[in-house]
Amino acid sequence: MASKLKLLAAAMATVGLLAACGGGGGADTTPKAKVTSVKVMGDSLSDSGTFGFKFTVQGSAPTGAGSTMIWPERIADQFSQSLCAHFRAGDENLTTYQEVATCTNYAVGGGRVNPLDAPTSPKSVLVQIQAASKAGFSADDLVVIDGGANDAADVIGALIAAAKGNSQPLNAMVAWLDSKAPGTSTALMTQAGGDASKFAGLAAGAYLQTLAKTFAGSIAQNVVAKGATRVAVLNVPAITKTPRFQMVLASIAKAAGGGDQGAAAAAKQEASFDALVQVFNNQLAASLAGQSQVVLVDFYTEFKSQISNPAQYDFDNVKDPVCPITGVDASGLPTYTFPTCTAAALSATPGKSSPDWWQHHVFADSFHPTPYGHQQMSQLVSRSLAQKGWL
Amino acid sequence: MKISVRIIAAAAALAACSLASAQSAGSWMARVGVTHLSPDVSSGNLSAPSFPNTKVDAGSNTQLGGGITYMVTDNLALDVPLATPFKHDLSGAGSIAGVGKLGSTKAIPATLMLQYRFNEAKAAFRPYLGVGVTYAHFYGEKTTATLNGLSGGTLANPTTAELDDKFGALAQLGFVYNFNERWFVDASYSKSFLKTKIHLSSGQSVSVRLNPDVFAMAIGYRF
Repeated sequence: MASKLKLLAAAMATVGLLAACGGGGGADTTPKAKVTSVKVMGDSLSDSGTFGFKFTVQGSAPTGAGSTMIWPERIADQFSQSLCAHFRAGDENLTTYQEVATCTNYAVGGGRVNPLDAPTSPKSVLVQIQAASKAGFSADDLVVIDGGANDAADVIGALIAAAKGNSQPLNAMVAWLDSKAPGTSTALMTQAGGDASKFAGLAAGAYLQTLAKTFAGSIAQNVVAKGATRVAVLNVPAITKTPRFQMVLASIAKAAGGGDQGAAAAAKQEASFDALVQVFNNQLAASLAGQSQVVLVDFYTEFKSQISNPAQYDFDNVKDPVCPITGVDASGLPTYTFPTCTAAALSATPGKSSPDWWQHHVFADSFHPTPYGHQQMSQLVSRSLAQKGWL
Repeated sequence: MKISVRIIAAAAALAACSLASAQSAGSWMARVGVTHLSPDVSSGNLSAPSFPNTKVDAGSNTQLGGGITYMVTDNLALDVPLATPFKHDLSGAGSIAGVGKLGSTKAIPATLMLQYRFNEAKAAFRPYLGVGVTYAHFYGEKTTATLNGLSGGTLANPTTAELDDKFGALAQLGFVYNFNERWFVDASYSKSFLKTKIHLSSGQSVSVRLNPDVFAMAIGYRF
């Protein structure tokens, strides 16, 4: 009996012995899809260093090894690819620039779907798309594109200027609309019943809607139709939540008399500006729909979620830019200088409780995310890529 | 595979000292077959930082199974189910539903069951009820590029995962059908109550009730 129980114990011990052969976790980082090149088009959020730096807190180097990994670089890394800026320029208006054929990140800081001041320069995301298309797409490419945020910011700026009596920026947009579809402004004015402020709102919406259509059309024509099979497009984030627009809204509140009355006026404006962003996003979604090669990443919703529920994302500050203010722009808003806003300089800021004080802020300056914000963006894009079976 | 070799070795050892007839007190039995383990997952939310409502799911697995039974009395049995290590895929659920496989883990449940077997020792058909304890050992966790991307990992510093080893409880119902004095078939269904926690190297964790349904069928030999 005793010997038999020993056998039973031995059987259990056998299980135990096998159990002991465990170990720590490992990782197989081979993505689901074979991606041999990552191609990027977009604005400052995606710029790997057109102007020699990135639009966030700088790492130990401004570009290349040791530099901060921005979101498309984190995505490229998952596929064992690295990125570098295709366009190189000394000045932000790109009056002159070089192209580096081996670099596949075409994104440029200040990039717009429709840069009215420089429509044929690489500041135009459409021009970037055409340049990438000219170089050619293959079935093994992953193409990631963002755009429209600066256009939406331009429109909001134009509306604010128009309300203050300067209609020039809005008129330029209306003129562009008329050049695309003659008679648009007359029709909109009729729709507005001659009310100038109503007309401004309608024109702003029509402008962004047309841009979204143009943007999506270019992606279909120059990317998907040219052989790309994996295209991720980010929509425009809720830019009204950025410090830049929160400052603008604060001044609107102040101008409206402050207090509850001012807050109500600012909230109303914020809602109407946000609605314009949604006009662009809804049109973009509608125009991109039905293409199995394209996944639309809902950056708008996720960004709002991050701002309203920061702890869930381990953000500890959703308001204050970490980079120091270095100047003031024409509209009285603070400006920042990314090349000198380095991780080392921020960590050395006197009077902070920890050198890591800035790490989990959302904003680097008043409009761009911190490196951690970029990580969150890459995680969001990763989710969409994985859901498509690409990562 | 190792286990089945050991089962045969144990069976040979037991054969030498078996005298009793039928499944009566003091009988030893060994069996070999298949065991299917199907987790019935109820996942908590992955802790921050994460997308709100990030959950995981676990896939089922079938392995070579079997076990050893000792009849303490004519009706009470002690049973040790054995199986080659299970391998379960972990996938995304909740707000990351559809992302696919996040990783996999191997699992060895070390289990002891106490069973009550109805009918006489010599009866051909003996249904039984059982209760038991299990100690689930998880090892060989392997994560994917998907998890790496979702958790902010890089190629240089990929996100890995580890599962806590845990005790669980089981309730079982099954039957033995004796073809003759020596050979029988044993089939059972067990509900296991098992909760574990998955830890990511990126700092988050998620509690998961695996509560697997365990289906086992085996051909056995009484010594």
